[in-house]
Amino acid sequence: MDGNMKIDLDKLPIKRLEAIDEAGNEQFPPDIGYEEKRLNMIRRIDFSQVMERDAKKQKSSKEAVGTQAWPWQSLVENLQLAQQELSIILDLISTVEANDAVTVAGMQRPKQLPHESLSDIAVSAATKLQRLRHLGRYFKQSSKSLEQQVTREARFYGSLIRLQQNWKVKRQRIGLSGPGSESFTIDLLDNSTTDLILSSRSLTLSTVRIDRDPAGILTVQLPSKLCRSLSVEFPGSHSRRKQKGFVKGKMLESGLYPQEDKKEALTDENVNERVKDSHLILREIHQSIFQEQVFDLVNHESYNPSPGVNVIAMREDRLHLSIGQETSVSLFLLPSIEEESTGRVESNNQAQIRENRISSTDSLGLSALDENFDSYTRNYLNFPDPVSLEIFLQYLFHDDVFLKSKDRRNDGCNFLGHFCMTIAHRIFSRKVLSLLEGLVEGIPYLHLLSHPTWHSRISSWSLSLKVPQSILRSSRRIKPSGSNDLKSGIRSQFNTKVVVNDDQINVSGEGTPGLVGSLRGDYSDSCSINSYGCDLVDLPVAILHQVANQVIDWLHEEALIVGMKVSRDFLCLYFDLEQGETLGLVANVDAEDIHGCISWWLVFDDGSMEEGKLAAEDGEFRNRRFLGHLSLEALYSTLMDLVGFCGSGGSH
Amino acid sequence: MSKPGGPGAGGGPTAAAAAAAAQKQKSLLQRVDTDIANIVDNFGLLVNVARVNDLPVRNAQEAFQMETRAARMVQAADSLLKLVSELKQTAIFSGFESLNENVERRIAEFNQLEESSDRLLQRIGEQAAVSLNELETHYYSSVQRANRQVG
Repeated sequence: MDGNMKIDLDKLPIKRLEAIDEAGNEQFPPDIGYEEKRLNMIRRIDFSQVMERDAKKQKSSKEAVGTQAWPWQSLVENLQLAQQELSIILDLISTVEANDAVTVAGMQRPKQLPHESLSDIAVSAATKLQRLRHLGRYFKQSSKSLEQQVTREARFYGSLIRLQQNWKVKRQRIGLSGPGSESFTIDLLDNSTTDLILSSRSLTLSTVRIDRDPAGILTVQLPSKLCRSLSVEFPGSHSRRKQKGFVKGKMLESGLYPQEDKKEALTDENVNERVKDSHLILREIHQSIFQEQVFDLVNHESYNPSPGVNVIAMREDRLHLSIGQETSVSLFLLPSIEEESTGRVESNNQAQIRENRISSTDSLGLSALDENFDSYTRNYLNFPDPVSLEIFLQYLFHDDVFLKSKDRRNDGCNFLGHFCMTIAHRIFSRKVLSLLEGLVEGIPYLHLLSHPTWHSRISSWSLSLKVPQSILRSSRRIKPSGSNDLKSGIRSQFNTKVVVNDDQINVSGEGTPGLVGSLRGDYSDSCSINSYGCDLVDLPVAILHQVANQVIDWLHEEALIVGMKVSRDFLCLYFDLEQGETLGLVANVDAEDIHGCISWWLVFDDGSMEEGKLAAEDGEFRNRRFLGHLSLEALYSTLMDLVGFCGSGGSH
Repeated sequence: MSKPGGPGAGGGPTAAAAAAAAQKQKSLLQRVDTDIANIVDNFGLLVNVARVNDLPVRNAQEAFQMETRAARMVQAADSLLKLVSELKQTAIFSGFESLNENVERRIAEFNQLEESSDRLLQRIGEQAAVSLNELETHYYSSVQRANRQVG
């Protein structure tokens, strides 16, 4: 279609002049129908083109011929032609309408009218537009879902990377090796210790599956029923502890974040929270595996007998050992309790309860009114704390297996033996301590001081005897330093050290040697540090002897300072009076005495009696006088009172 | 980019791994190319179909064509996303260098933690010993002890 197409539209189609005859009468065409009108219009378009061409031709011919031709001539001719044609068509139509043996053999589709074709185009354009809109919606929808997929993946892989920083993440392809069919697991097994035999339980526990929930959040499956924790208990003592549970891990259970899931409004904080929870769960499982390993090793070691350790009973998750004669301990794996879908509020309550329990147990030591106090103290005094033993056992295992420190123990004990010996020592040292405390209770001027040794099988205490200051101390008399000058002049305290190594008690102290030394009769070396071992039964007497000895020592020194004539025996101090008479200050030790463990007697000997008779004959009160449980100050003043007698005797 | 026959390809397994890596890289690039070409082609066809034709009879056909093209585009995009996630996985699981680095870092961290815990425990122990000593001394010079002495 070139540009010179013209469309001639009649503005007044109704009052159109059909013909003008020679007489000048105008003839109007009859009213025509739509079809005819259309056809006419088509004609007109056709004719207009032809007319144009004709006009051009005529123009050229006119130019050639001249201008004498009537200007309307061609129009008239054309109109006439049109009229003829129209009449033919009308005839044809009427014939067809009459259906007089005329059939339409073939008919060209009439050319569309401009507005028709336009409306057609408009319709198809509208249809297309609708389709494109539909397509746009489809694209929008899929882009949204792809976007979601992207954020999901970002979330998941972000969490996975964060987990990977701390754990060994493994990829497993299930079935077809196509993308998306992977599953991820976390391997919690430490295979750096290849010599460690692992139970099948640990192996099943060590592989943790990672799940991806629809929102792309990484979740870790918690095999909570499989998780167990190691526990140490002494038969007969009631464990005050409750089972450990996965409190925080419950947050990961579905249904705790319902609103977030619904809204799809997962913030980074939620994801962070989830990752933290995953870490927490993995740590719990890891811990459980570690404790199972400890238990397994204990089980294995129990096959190699250690001295004094016997297996009494053994079950899959429990080991009962006897240590020595009277102690027994049981180690077992405690399944962690599952707090079934209680929700966060519930777990908060649990935590609250737990806290309360802890605080109440803390206050137990102080409040004697608590009804559990008796059982608590009994347990406390008899047995070491099971929790610290658990920690100790794990520490030993760690040292033994992971650090391979074999040089730490050179007594031939294995891991379990060392542990059992430690328990035995702890129990024994508690007995020693309570005994020492009883003694200190009985002797008011004795101080008990603990000395931490930082060794699990050695304990140490010291008993210090603080003597009152000498009245002559203020004058600072420089005494020629004899054997008893530890610092300068007179010492102000005597120390006795009690060291318990496993079940060996060793007492060492300043002062005159104890019974052994007294048998030798050697008192000259009065400041020698004597040291001797003893057992639990002899310990009180030994300590009392030692302390009494030290008191005597001190009095002796003081007496010498003030210039008295004194001599000393093991637990006696003799003052030489006139005419061979002696006055003895005798210490009497009795560990069972509730009023005081050391009491004093004053014994007068006029020389006519044998020394040995003193204790034997109770009736002779004339020569003996019970002074009672004297404090050091009283003893000192007694000594000073005696100065008058002895001083005169001495100067005599 | 690891090329087979490069300096690291001396040993057998290394060479094989390098070859496999190159192969994988090639296939990945190929997949990217295919997917992107797919998207572009389908978009072009979609634009072509979007033209209003003279013949309205082909409407249904065109509609179907449009849907198919659109679906193919989305599919290609999805495939690209899958490829991205695969790349992410590869980055996570095959970035041994960063993994090792991470492990080293963790080891250093834990060692530090161990040291500080040891120090802390030691300090706590010392403090406990000092406090115990103090408390004991205090007790023996206290009124309670003196009362007991009297009693």
